[in-house]
Parts: sequence; structure tokens; C-alpha cells
Amino acid sequence: MSSGHANEGAGASRSSDPNRARDLGGLAIAAGLFLFAALIAWDGTTYPVRQSYAQFGPEIFPYLIAAGLAVFGVATVFMALRNSFPEREPMNLTAVGWIVGALVAKIGLLYGGVGFIVAAGTLFGFAARGLGRRPLWFAILVGIGVSAFLYVLFRHGLSLSLPAGPVERFIDGLFRR
Amino acid sequence: MDTFLLLLDGLAVATQPMNLVFALIGVLLGTAVGVMPGIGPALTVALLLPISLSFGATGSLIMFAGIYYGGMYGGAISSILLNTPGETASIMTAVEGNKMARSGRGGKALGAAAIGSFFGGTVGTIGIALVSPFMVSVALSFGPAEYFALMVLSFVTVSAAFGGSVARGLTALFIGLAIGLVGIDKLTGQPRLSFGVPELRDNISIAIVAVGLFAIGETLYIASKKIDVDETVEAIKGSVWLSFQDLKRCIFPYLRGAGLGFLFGPLPTGGAEIPTFLSYSTERKAAKGQSKAEFEGNKGAIEGVAGPEAANNASAAGTLIPLLTLGLPTSATAAMMLAGFQQYGLQPGPLLFTSNPTLVWGLVASLFIANFMLLILNLPFVGIWVRLLMIPRPWLYAGILTFATLGIVGAQGSAFALILLLFFGVIGFVMRRFGYPLAPVLVGAILGPLAEEQLRRGLMINRGDWTFLVTSPIALTIYAIAAAAVIGPILWRMMARDKSKTVFAMDGD
Repeated sequence: MSSGHANEGAGASRSSDPNRARDLGGLAIAAGLFLFAALIAWDGTTYPVRQSYAQFGPEIFPYLIAAGLAVFGVATVFMALRNSFPEREPMNLTAVGWIVGALVAKIGLLYGGVGFIVAAGTLFGFAARGLGRRPLWFAILVGIGVSAFLYVLFRHGLSLSLPAGPVERFIDGLFRR
Repeated sequence: MDTFLLLLDGLAVATQPMNLVFALIGVLLGTAVGVMPGIGPALTVALLLPISLSFGATGSLIMFAGIYYGGMYGGAISSILLNTPGETASIMTAVEGNKMARSGRGGKALGAAAIGSFFGGTVGTIGIALVSPFMVSVALSFGPAEYFALMVLSFVTVSAAFGGSVARGLTALFIGLAIGLVGIDKLTGQPRLSFGVPELRDNISIAIVAVGLFAIGETLYIASKKIDVDETVEAIKGSVWLSFQDLKRCIFPYLRGAGLGFLFGPLPTGGAEIPTFLSYSTERKAAKGQSKAEFEGNKGAIEGVAGPEAANNASAAGTLIPLLTLGLPTSATAAMMLAGFQQYGLQPGPLLFTSNPTLVWGLVASLFIANFMLLILNLPFVGIWVRLLMIPRPWLYAGILTFATLGIVGAQGSAFALILLLFFGVIGFVMRRFGYPLAPVLVGAILGPLAEEQLRRGLMINRGDWTFLVTSPIALTIYAIAAAAVIGPILWRMMARDKSKTVFAMDGD
């Protein structure tokens, strides 16, 4: 599934040149749809065959959807060739990079075990930086403040379970007393 | 009379202190997100879906309904003062409303909008109470063939009505249907599209899909625009209270708007865009004398605000009828509310009315209360909401992202959910950029598994014979409507190559 849509993402980033690149973006989406359809159909062929009154098993709906995706993949090719996608504005790649980076950073920090507050604070800082707020360290600091508040509110107010690191364990300790 | 008694029971549920608090939270949040451009009620319900699990079914559904209604009120504020509609339902309000604000009558426009919203919402809610029992009795006779036909109707109309292109709408639908496939098949236990990843075997939570597409995708889209739009917030000039003269001008637009909204709300035509557009053009055509001059000049006519605002709230109410009685969402927000029901293991439909009447009627009764709360919040306190328009964008969107990831991590308990979130965010961004509507993805992902269940149940009863789908006259009628819904817009675009089509080409969220 991810391989098909990674293609879509690549199509968008290539589309900064208005005339020629527009086709490429649309064609990349079509390619993504074809890949996705093939993936679904292939997955369907791996299911074991069952005897049932319905005469159709869990593979029937995936086959229908794969067929639909393929049909609209063809339609997408035509849309791309006829330039019938709406006009796209030039893209601010740096800003998009910061936002994607913000999420990647949070995912990485959470897997690294630093806990919710630092990870969410970093996400907040990167995102604010991406939308034009400088300097980065200040935005991250604000973010850590915001997420510390959110942590206390949701962990101790609504007992939502959030990933804990050293900072969170310290705060939890304060609340236990 | 039965309905009346049930509604009274519902009122007892809705006036329990905790439920009043949930209604208040809902309308406050709803108005706030309605005011802020780019964030709609659908996204807000999606954000709250994971967090609300501890609130209980009745409480969180009352809150979600409050958000839906509140969003319709709040949307008028940014339309009138900023000329930037908070969501698609308020596009038509901006036309006359902003002209009125610039010519020093912003207060009156806001007043007409708030009263219109109240009127439309109340008429619509009465309509829910009256029509629902009738719909339930019809729906009880439906079998797999009819339900499958209804879902097909919902699929194609949502895809055809949203966005500018039927092909792109249907592509979005199929992407959604494919997302709905992921996980263990309910009937056989076969894992599908899971590739051995345990998190994928347990189905992809609809909250991840919705938050990814709307919150992450929207933030990426806003960030990707190079040019900053120069926006000026008009100060509120003049009183928000209407004079007798103003009210007299508004009465007929209110009535017509509420009627149109309630008529179109339950149809799967994609929310409030069509009724508000029709209401605006009706008022414009009906205008005479002074109001005609105001429509055509720069002053702005109060009828052009009154009608569409009554229409969008009445349509929000109308949307709840197919949602509650058939389990069919006809707008993005209704789709998210359906996900809210499913989160508690509830399936809206005729059986819900008999198995859980306190929930259904408590929800309906709470809509009346929410409407009263909103009228008070939006007449004397309108100034407070205007301040929300001043929040700097970097902080606003950074906050949205933080909140979005908090909800997902908190509910799923794993950072893997965030990888999926980022994945759907990128898909949402690419779709926005290439003019694909997002609502069909959600409807496909939510209704797809239900449609599959009906299809396969039908096939099982009929021993693999597909013809059962087309032998029921009710189902055939529904398919005919669905076909008309796809072909209609294509004919419309071919015949009407004028300015009016651009209204329908706007993206819905």
C-alpha cells in the first residue's frame, strides 16, 4: 500500500514547473492507483479458498475495489493528458518539509522513549517554524510548555494514557504525592 | 403523540447536568472552529473521537451534535467579517454579509445570521422528531438488497456532489473503500491487506484516517502555499439586534431557507452547499425595491444572509435523519458522527430507535437546547468569537498538529499510529493539491465494510446469485436515483457553462 502512494507524493513534489510537470504529477497519481489496485488484487489471490453458500469469500470485495481503482487509474491518465486537473500554485517545499519533519521527529523521539512532552514540544516547534515562526528554539520552548499543559490535562484530568519518559515520570510523581 | 412522549423522555436525558455540560462544550468548540477558516466541524469531531472515549456514548454524541450545529453558526462570523467562509456551508453568506459589514451594517448581518441559524436549526430539529419515526417504519422492511442499494446511492452521490469532477470524486471513494478493506474480515477472520503487521490486522481506526486527511493534510496544504493572503477583519459596526423592520424583511427568507435546507439535508448531495446556493439565488430573484438595489449595489442585502444561514442549519438537522434512521452519512461531519456511534459499538439505523431510545431522543432533545445556547452565544457574545480570528497562524496550526497527534497516540497507545497518520496526511495533501475531494474517502472507509457485509449476506441468502440485487423494486428505484445523481452533475456542467457552476466546484470539508 505504501509503495503506491509514495509515488503520489513524489508526483506532487516534482510539479513546481506549471506546464509540463502538471502531466507528470497526474500520471504519477495514475501509476499509484494502478500499483495500489495490483496490490489489492494480489493480496486477494493469497486468501485460502473456502466453501460457502455465498460462493464468494473475502476476496470478492477486494477484487471489485481493485477493478474500480484500475478503471479510475485509466481515467486519471486521460485527465493528466488533457491537463484537466485544476491549476496548482507553486509549492513552498521548505515549509512542507518542516511539517513532515515535525511528524517524523515526533515519531522518532517517541520510539526513542523521551516521552510525550519533549516529543510533542518538538513537533509544535517544527510546525510553527514551518509556518514562518522564528527562532526555532523559542517555538520549541513554547511547544514544550503547551504540551506539558496538555499532558497534565489529559493524563491526570481525563486519564488518557500518553507515552511517558523521564519528564513525565517526574510529573506523575508530583501528582501522586 | 408517541413521538411527543419520547421527546419528553429525551428532554429528561438532555437536561441532566453532565449532558448539558457536554452540549455546552460542543457548541463552544463548534462555534470556535466554525469561526476559524480552514478548520471545520468534521475535523473537530475527528480530533475529539479518540479523546471522547471516556465520556460515554450519550455525552459524546451530544457534544458532536453541538459541534455540528455550532460550526454552522460560527461559519457566518468569519464569512461576514473576514469574507473568508469558515466552511463551505457559509460561502453564500459571505457574498451579501461582507458587503453589509463593509458598508457599516456588520452587526445587523451577524444578528440576521444568528437568528436565521436558530430558526433553521429549530425547524430542522422539529422535522427530525416528526420524520424519523416514519423513516424508521419504512426502513424496518429493508433487507440486504435495499441497504446495499442505499449505500451505493450514498457512495455515488457523495462522490458526485463534492468537488468539481465526478471522476476524481469516485477515485477518492475507491481509495476510501480500499482503506476500509484493511484488517480482519468480519465474516471469515481472513486478514486483508495487513502484510503481517499486527497494527494493520486490527483495522485502521477511522480517527487516524480522518485526522490524517483533514488535520495533517490541511496543515501541509496551508504551509505549501507561498503567497500569504492579506486578510482584513472588519470591525463589528452597528447593533446586532434587529429592528422590527429588519425582521419583517427576514421572515420569508428564513422560511424559504429553512425549507430548502431541510429538503436537501437528508439527500446525499453533500451537505449544505446546494441548499445555501439555492436559497441565495431565490432571495436574489425575489428581491424588490430597496432590497433589489442592495443586492445589486455594494450595500449588501439582509435577505442574502438570512436565507442561506437558515438553510445551512436546517440542512445540518436534515442530515441527521438518514444518519439516525438508516445509518447513512450524507456529509463529512455526519460521516464522523457515524464513526462516533461505531466507536461505542452502536449502529445507527431503525433498530437503534427501539434498542436505545433514550440515546436517540436524548440526542434530538439536546439539539433544541444546543440551539438556544448558540443563540445566546452568538448574539450578545459575538465580539469574543471575533478575537479568535486574530490567533497567528503558526501557533494555530502547530497547536492543531500537537492536539491531533495527542489524540491519536493517546487512543492507540503506539507511535505506529503516527506513521499511519503521516501517511494519510501526505495522501490528503496530494489529493487537496490535485483537486480531489476528501469526504468520499471518509464515507468509503466507513460505509465500505458495512456495504460489503450487506452484499455478502445477500449473496449467502441467495446462494451466490447476484440477481437478488436488482429484483427488489425499492432497490431499483434507489439505483435509478443514484444514476441520476451521477449523470445529473455532468449534464448540469455541459448545459450551464456560466459562473454559477463554480459554486459547486468548491471543495467540501
